[in-house]
Amino acid sequence: MKNDIHRHLDGELSAHQLAPDEKTVVDEWDRMVAAFRRAEPSHGGAPPWLEQKVMGEIEALPREGLIGRTLGWLVRPAQVRVPPLAAGVVMAAFAAVLAWPSAEPAGPDVAGGVTESVVFVQFVLEAPGEQSVAVVGDFSEWEPTFTLDDTDGDGVWTGRVPIQPGVHSYMFLVDGSDWQTDPNAERYSDDGFGNQNAVLAVSAGD
Amino acid sequence: MAQVERTDEQVVRDVLDGDRDAFRLLVRRYGDTLHGHALRMTGSSDDAADLVQKAFVKGFKKLRHCKDPQRVGAWLFRILANLCKDHVRGRRKDVSLSVVAGAIQGGPSPEAAAEGAEIRRKIWGALDALTPEQKEAFVLKHVEGRSYEEIAAVMDTSVASLKMRVHRAREALRGLLEEYA
Repeated sequence: MKNDIHRHLDGELSAHQLAPDEKTVVDEWDRMVAAFRRAEPSHGGAPPWLEQKVMGEIEALPREGLIGRTLGWLVRPAQVRVPPLAAGVVMAAFAAVLAWPSAEPAGPDVAGGVTESVVFVQFVLEAPGEQSVAVVGDFSEWEPTFTLDDTDGDGVWTGRVPIQPGVHSYMFLVDGSDWQTDPNAERYSDDGFGNQNAVLAVSAGD
Repeated sequence: MAQVERTDEQVVRDVLDGDRDAFRLLVRRYGDTLHGHALRMTGSSDDAADLVQKAFVKGFKKLRHCKDPQRVGAWLFRILANLCKDHVRGRRKDVSLSVVAGAIQGGPSPEAAAEGAEIRRKIWGALDALTPEQKEAFVLKHVEGRSYEEIAAVMDTSVASLKMRVHRAREALRGLLEEYA
């Protein structure tokens, strides 16, 4: 399919700008899309029992206790604030199979003009056969910013992530949708919604 | 008495504060949209319902991590979309496109009408020849009729990346159909 055809189908090029043979292809495409729409599975909305099933499953989840609420407060991304400290000794209470922390100075903070120190933490997850693994935590605003690599294809995913000193919660995001708690973490926090976050304590000295 | 409906942001806050039943409002607001997409991706009403249920429960468990409660609907949609892709990832298969091509070129023939369910199944089965990402892009763009910008916002990806997926889906579908032309 020529690029002009894609541009037309994307609304970037009018039909009269197409060559005759391109118009023929577009006509074929329009017929195909119309056929797909005609054949669309009938959709009368979500089944009426769905709400009840969802709410039933949610109600069956354990409720958070005082500790859960307290630790839940910690995992709210906007509420974790750690002042910059000089990088140094590291204690990382995360557990990955081959995890070890190291300290490196971060680059200058362009926005604030202040050099903030971070600690580079190595995360490891054994996940053979998976397509992607990311470590997601409050230090990434719970976005899959930091992806792990499995360059030799042995199923062991690793990656180094710059993290500011403090107490952090994290999970692994496997294949973009499967949230997994680090099975080897030393500490966990109940998020009050039936899952456990791994807890990572990173400290830095002079 | 007029009753002001809670915004999504208020609902999320209430749920996080312990009012689990408030989550019901999100199920009501977004259940149909999510179910429609799941149905188009899976072709099965049973599978669609299961995936939507999983998406809502997963969303509830992870609600604290929703960065923008005003857009919790889009956030839930993204969870569902990922579940749908995982669901179809393992079931890609060779499909018989002769019936598909016939139905497409001939339009709604009497035979097609008579074999409605079977034709529908086979036409939509053609989409299973695509990768899950291509199928998702095709469904969102050409079946659900969403704009690239809208899809990009919901799927948290770039317009350029989406266009590439849609272009590849078009090429793949056209190539498949040409085999039977």
